[in-house]
Amino acid sequence: MLSFSEIAALIRKEILVEFREKYALGGILLYVATSVFIVMIAFGELAPATWNLIFWILFLFASINAVLKSFVRESEKRYLFYYTLTHPVNLLFSKVIYNTGLLMIIGLLLSAALVFIAGNPIESADIFLLAVVMGSFSLSLTFTFISSIAIKADNSATLMAILGFPLTIPIFINLIDLSSVALGLTMDSSITDEVTILGSIELLLIGAGMILFPFLWRS
Amino acid sequence: MRRHWWKILAVLIILGTLLGGMLSPLYPGIESVKPGRTDAGEMIVLQIRGYNTHFDASDDLPRVWLKLDEENALGATQVMARNARELRASFYIPKSFPGDQGVTALSLVIDNARDGTSVLPSAVFVRHGQEKSEAELLLWKKDPVVHLNTRAFFGFPYRNILVETIRNTYFHIPMWFGMILLFAGSVYFSYRYMKTQHPDDDLRSISLVQAGVLFGVMGLVTGMIWAKYTWGKFWSWDIKQNVSAITLLIYFALLVLRSSFEDEQRRARLSAGYNIFAFVLMIPLIFVVPRLTDSLHPGNGGNPALGGEDMDNTMRMIFYPAIIGWTLLGVWIAQLNYRFFKAKDRLTN
Repeated sequence: MLSFSEIAALIRKEILVEFREKYALGGILLYVATSVFIVMIAFGELAPATWNLIFWILFLFASINAVLKSFVRESEKRYLFYYTLTHPVNLLFSKVIYNTGLLMIIGLLLSAALVFIAGNPIESADIFLLAVVMGSFSLSLTFTFISSIAIKADNSATLMAILGFPLTIPIFINLIDLSSVALGLTMDSSITDEVTILGSIELLLIGAGMILFPFLWRS
Repeated sequence: MRRHWWKILAVLIILGTLLGGMLSPLYPGIESVKPGRTDAGEMIVLQIRGYNTHFDASDDLPRVWLKLDEENALGATQVMARNARELRASFYIPKSFPGDQGVTALSLVIDNARDGTSVLPSAVFVRHGQEKSEAELLLWKKDPVVHLNTRAFFGFPYRNILVETIRNTYFHIPMWFGMILLFAGSVYFSYRYMKTQHPDDDLRSISLVQAGVLFGVMGLVTGMIWAKYTWGKFWSWDIKQNVSAITLLIYFALLVLRSSFEDEQRRARLSAGYNIFAFVLMIPLIFVVPRLTDSLHPGNGGNPALGGEDMDNTMRMIFYPAIIGWTLLGVWIAQLNYRFFKAKDRLTN
């Protein structure tokens, strides 16, 4: 059922659609630019703790929009077409991988914009990068799954926020801990705990998604 | 009647834990000691305040010790009871201490026939020097803590900050056990719905979720009331308070999800999927995250957990049945809820 060539083809299709309908990506980039600009007007130079918080809040809202958009832009008929072509798990993985890439780009752009405008508090870039990568992956997993539920409703954006935000809190607790280490905000510099928990949450999400997604997708 | 034995059992157990948990007295304990510090080589008079004690029984004057460790203890030179709860004990603190110089904490031990033995750890802090004199060191061995009385009645341990609120153990903690078990049950029915597509399984699952949410809210409320009396505030942003609130948010979201779909089959399928997904994410949230940070709750940040000094065998005799009783009650609530849904279904169709 799991076919890498099909996943690769689906990812290529996602990228193609993204570039043909540029408004989705453009909208998110505009969101990043606007929100960073607002932050700059409100705060000016940011203290490291505030920088950390602002980054993750902006990232959360950008990612929830980005993932939902990747679902909404295709019609339900086209999903039925995919359903006849490939196993739902392939579709899930292609979406998750594509969204992870998208979120990583958004995260890097966002941090670059914040560094450019509000100062650079990052002390160890590698740990921060790790936080962005793990955050992108786990948020992409959660939101891809949630948006496959939410798009079935009329008020999908609201439902997405209601369903998704509480589920992301355990992820964010660890992400903020991880990036606090990267920003030198905490005394203890060990990241094994956070990485282990994030890794196990991701594994749990992958497992749950693989089992549940085919079932949810049928409708 | 034979089919309903477990409901009767639930009611009996809950009644029993209510009566046993509320009516049993606390064991006698030591509320406070003044003064809390002194120097070596001084005479001190400790003013001791007890809780549920009977210091003034005429034939039963308490024996009082200041205990350093298992081998070294000082007996009181004179003991005088002012009333049932107030006691004065005079001590001579020797100039020489067995260990190195510094500040040493002594535990207070009180023993009489009626109340049994009460201990207050680190009751008096003594500053002492390097001097080692044989005669003074012998004073530590003169009155060993021996021939202690045991308690012959049923009661709960006295804890300094908890005092009478320790009884909340039988209501607050079973709520969380009940919630987890009810949610686990609902996950089972969600799973079964995915296999069978039978609408009854969906109704069973959501009935259990609703009962579990009720238990979670009650657990949060009983915990907040408890926190007000012990930690001083209803909400102190303790990690366990946070994760349980988040858990409830996740399940409230499930209830919102259900109300936003008209089509029954689609609603059932999506809520079954989200229910399993939510339970999977709840497990690291409730069982892993709190263990990584400090918490005011027992079992975290150096506080003893269940089975430490806060939970003795008399408490276990109430606590474990309470978990069973409340969980059975939760299942009963869920079952009534399910029958209500079924009846509503039949009336509308």
